[in-house]
Amino acid sequence: MNNTLLSLTIAILFGIGTFLILRRDIVKVIIGLSVISHSVNLLIVSTGVFAGTKVPIITDDSGHGAAEATGTIFTDSLSQNILAPVLAAGNHVDFVDPLVQALVLTAIVISLAMTAFILILAYRIHEEYGTTDIKELRRLWG
Amino acid sequence: MISLDTHLPIILIATPILMASIMVLLRKQPGIQKVLSVSVSFLMFIVSIFLLLQVWSGGIQAYEVGEWGKYGIILVADLLSSGMVVLTSFVSFLALIYSLDYIEEKSLSASYYPLFSLLVAGLNGSFLTGDIFNLFVFFEILLLSSCGLVIANEKGGVTKSSDKMEATFKYLVLNMLSSFVMLIAIASLYATTGTLNMADISVKLSAMSEAGTLPWHVFAIALMFVVVFGNKAAIFPLHYWLPDVHPTAPSPISAMLSGVLIKVGAYGMLRVFFLIFIDTLYIFKPVIIYLALATIVVGAISAVAQTDVKRLLAYSSVSQIGYVFLGIGFGSVYGLTAALVYLVNHAIAKSMLFLTSGGIIHHAGTRDMRKMGGMVDSAPLISMMFLIGAMSIAGLPPMGGFIAKLQLFDAGISEKYYFEIAIALIFAVFTIFYMFRAMLLMFWGERRDVNEHGEYSTDATSPLIALPIIVLALGVLVFGLYAEPLIAFASATANQILDPQLYIDAVMTTRVVR
Repeated sequence: MNNTLLSLTIAILFGIGTFLILRRDIVKVIIGLSVISHSVNLLIVSTGVFAGTKVPIITDDSGHGAAEATGTIFTDSLSQNILAPVLAAGNHVDFVDPLVQALVLTAIVISLAMTAFILILAYRIHEEYGTTDIKELRRLWG
Repeated sequence: MISLDTHLPIILIATPILMASIMVLLRKQPGIQKVLSVSVSFLMFIVSIFLLLQVWSGGIQAYEVGEWGKYGIILVADLLSSGMVVLTSFVSFLALIYSLDYIEEKSLSASYYPLFSLLVAGLNGSFLTGDIFNLFVFFEILLLSSCGLVIANEKGGVTKSSDKMEATFKYLVLNMLSSFVMLIAIASLYATTGTLNMADISVKLSAMSEAGTLPWHVFAIALMFVVVFGNKAAIFPLHYWLPDVHPTAPSPISAMLSGVLIKVGAYGMLRVFFLIFIDTLYIFKPVIIYLALATIVVGAISAVAQTDVKRLLAYSSVSQIGYVFLGIGFGSVYGLTAALVYLVNHAIAKSMLFLTSGGIIHHAGTRDMRKMGGMVDSAPLISMMFLIGAMSIAGLPPMGGFIAKLQLFDAGISEKYYFEIAIALIFAVFTIFYMFRAMLLMFWGERRDVNEHGEYSTDATSPLIALPIIVLALGVLVFGLYAEPLIAFASATANQILDPQLYIDAVMTTRVVR
């Protein structure tokens, strides 16, 4: 149920963003880009979320055994066909993937820089052309 | 004493980033900025050659950033990436020398040097990284810095600032969309394989493929990567931004964009499809080939009708990148060799033509070819250089472009792609036509009507502008007359690309500290 709602949210946000990008107003296009970037960020976070999982901290207690105690293998050994990480049999650790949250932070920062740049660009376009209608930006045609 | 030669990949990325911040601090001392940026750029060229020699003699180098093994970010220098880094450093060094006299002083010291360094960092980073999310980050770095550079003002101000705004807006919106597509693809790939390391993804996907459990959405992800890299390289349905952006940028930046930046798309295609999606390639080879053919056709037909010299060169870039992708689409050793030879020759010849077009614009005071004519008398050096570049792009011996086209068509014929080669050949004739039409309009014929369009500028071409053009022209001639080393290198690179196990072994055997 949770995952359905999440997928639905992502899809609707993406749809709204696409709709806004196809508008004629430059500011609406920029807002559309931001909305799409947020839906993509949600998608990235959602790839690490599973039902009934815990925070991604490996400790000794509550079933999250430490590496030595549970025999988790972190090192690759191609000759023995081991592709890390490998959990020992019988051990089961459920946790949310922490990496996607780091990825999403990077993506947010990048889209912040992009949005700042494109907003200033839109302001300069408004100064030069006296309009924010994207159909008027046709001096380069032909 | 730390030995520096094991740290070459990170030096090639970190130094330009450091230089960018130093340049911002030094903006009040243009003299120091000039000397420092040119000397560091030259140093980067030397370092990149060292890296290439290291890879050539010692095999693929994997460099762990932060010593986290395959879990952290890994920089990988194989023949393809180190070769591309040498090309980038060479073209950017010459473009930087050229811009000293070409870009307006105020814009040069305040924003041009830092952004140029960041662009080089982004290019080197995207060639050297072995981590697919890191590739995305470097794509964004080079996108933003190239946007800032397109807006930079040149001396004389032939291009209106409103044109630059409009072109940059198109460029930025389309490339932001493609970077969202890339993020979606990376997230799905991560959800499928649980890793971001390209070699690791490759191992896991081929294990799935061998077991027959390759999920169908891997094909969708691969298609998204076609869109992403196609947008970077301006492949047919996604090429509309290029003919606006490349002409409005200042000439040295046009040279960087056309010479190196669109090659990032070709590099990404080679890296991602021949390493990660090698099991889906049987579906995507025809896709790439037919997109490449459409690109060749659309670019060549559009270039014929242009009257603006830089716009003509930009459409020619669209058409020529199609030939590179045609070679990639063949997917054999010979095809990839031809694509790489073509890529290098086009990078050098097209950078040179864009740099020359800067000289032409200064001389004539306009970009409209109909308002030029008879310039061979007043600017013999520029017309000579333009002729060399035009012959190379058109594929006439003894220039490098001839060898490239010969190799590509030979590869296609030996792979029995007769129909594709026929189309490519017809539009190669178009290439000769539009390059020499430009040549005739600008340099041959009567001098233009002085009363109507004004006299040509009498300033002699400055040595800082002439030098990079001459060096690149020598490159074009050398690759045409003595092509064996380049072909041998491209062939070794193609063999390495087609054997992903070498890359995987180099990455996976890195030490894991634990």
